[in-house]
Amino acid sequence: MADAATAHPVGMALRRSIGTATATATSAGLAFAAIDYLGVVSVLAYAPAATAIPAIFIGGVIVLLVSGIFSELNGLYPSAAGIRLYLGRTVGDRTALAVTFTYMTTVVLVIAADAFLIGAAVRHVLREPAVLAYVWIAVLLGLATGANLRGVRLAGWVQTVVTYTVLGGTAVLSVVAIFHVGGAFRHPFDLFGKGGFSSIQAVAFALFLYAAFEWVTTTAEEARTPPVITRALFIAPVLIWLASSLFALGLAHLVPFSHLHGSAYPQLLLGQAALGTVGELWMLALTVLTALNTFNGGFLVASRFIYAAAREGNLPRPFARLNLQAVPWLAVTSLALVSAAVAAVVFATGQWLLLVAVGATIEAGIYALGSLCVVVLRRRETRERPFRLIAGKPLAVFGIVLFSVLFIATGFSDPKNAHHLSVAPISVIVVLASLSTAYVLIVVPRLRAAAAARAATARPRRRPPRPATEAEGPPPPSIRPPSDVPR
Amino acid sequence: MAEWGELADALADYTVNCNGNERLRKMQRDWSRTLHFICSDTGTTFSMMVERGEIQSAPEGHVGTPDIVVTAASETFCDMFWGDLNPVQKYLRGEITVKGSQEDVMRLDAISFVIWPDA
Repeated sequence: MADAATAHPVGMALRRSIGTATATATSAGLAFAAIDYLGVVSVLAYAPAATAIPAIFIGGVIVLLVSGIFSELNGLYPSAAGIRLYLGRTVGDRTALAVTFTYMTTVVLVIAADAFLIGAAVRHVLREPAVLAYVWIAVLLGLATGANLRGVRLAGWVQTVVTYTVLGGTAVLSVVAIFHVGGAFRHPFDLFGKGGFSSIQAVAFALFLYAAFEWVTTTAEEARTPPVITRALFIAPVLIWLASSLFALGLAHLVPFSHLHGSAYPQLLLGQAALGTVGELWMLALTVLTALNTFNGGFLVASRFIYAAAREGNLPRPFARLNLQAVPWLAVTSLALVSAAVAAVVFATGQWLLLVAVGATIEAGIYALGSLCVVVLRRRETRERPFRLIAGKPLAVFGIVLFSVLFIATGFSDPKNAHHLSVAPISVIVVLASLSTAYVLIVVPRLRAAAAARAATARPRRRPPRPATEAEGPPPPSIRPPSDVPR
Repeated sequence: MAEWGELADALADYTVNCNGNERLRKMQRDWSRTLHFICSDTGTTFSMMVERGEIQSAPEGHVGTPDIVVTAASETFCDMFWGDLNPVQKYLRGEITVKGSQEDVMRLDAISFVIWPDA
């Protein structure tokens, strides 16, 4: 059978499609969540004061390599299921499934982290007791779940306005903060000020500021033309770089680091230092706005992934059940419950910087795998790509090495103490990956066997047999072909 | 490879099943879309007009501006419209490609899932 991917109607004009501005906003919006403010604190832990600027810049340059890698892969597989397709064709279906399950846990972590951070920020501004933060977390997750279950979606233009408001608002307040400092920037190029390895860890955490920007590839099917996604992948990191650099510069000079590493709301501290109560409320408003993107995008991406996995036979079938708004209600509800549980653990332990480290490590690992996919698929897939990375093979090999080093750098980091190595981030990832792998190796075969048994006993093939002709051979069988049974 | 006649039979059966399913009609009551289909092997094209969850027509050729464009082999389309295969499995293997919003892609799959939950 001809591979439908080769006949993709790239030139077909859709009634509703997304252009570069919307795709860029989607990419930047997915990346720039409330947890990014803590990401900046993690960078500052390893790169003192103004040194954060070159660290974030180097991270941005590296991210442009990621943009190239994902542009090429997205061109080959312009689909929401792209990651499954290119990973599956590179490392095999089982490994691809285990990796995708692990990758998707980052969505849960980001939702949980944002719920916690926004809850903590609201509580702080309202001067409420600490315990009320969890009430706010529950309220936020409840609202997000309710909206998702009712099929409420943010319109594309709202998402675009929200993203540019958050990025622009952060940049403007940071510029105001920088005016307080004048030109007296401390430690402008002190990349090794906290030890030789600290520069690598600073860059690795800088990479986290851009993390998830590549999820825009899941909207490839709605893009007006293939270059729309490529352009978004290259423009969004520049916007994030600008906003994050300004924020880091203001934060490093106006708020003592001793106040930062114990705080879940560094953006409010900067707002307060720059403009008093007005600045604090300004940053609170931006923090709450990030939730719109995180909860809208995160719930949507993850719940639809769960739905597809259940329909494919890789998760129990009830996860594909739809309510009358055509929303996979069990997937959405489970996602909210797991996020609430993770947020509760973060709330109880105060380990929010660990989430940053885990997220940064997983992203570095995914970028290393993406680089591997480019190398392998250059050999296996000879068809034309709308985007081809220049010097793709050597750059992708460089990417494998670089992102593996960054994976280790963040996996053994302790953002609360730059001089200390910690096994906590890598341990969390090992547990997540082990659970995913065990699930794929033990549970998935059983689910598929059950599906095969169901298919064998289910109703006969409905399609009427085609009259036999000499050229065509015998008519199709009266039972469904084995190719329809999940493999 | 399936000819247009076979596809038309499959579409007619699919239309009856969709329009006769109360739960599906209720679920898709706010879903009005124009779908275009392309058979990657035969080059056959056809359209489907859905109005508030009800399939109005499914003529040969492309009619109107599409909200969704689906490309697959003609045999895949036939089996899909007869409810003999699970479209998600084909989609995740890259054998069915789609242009359109993720929400619409899921709605399209939801039709098959609701009328043929055992597929």
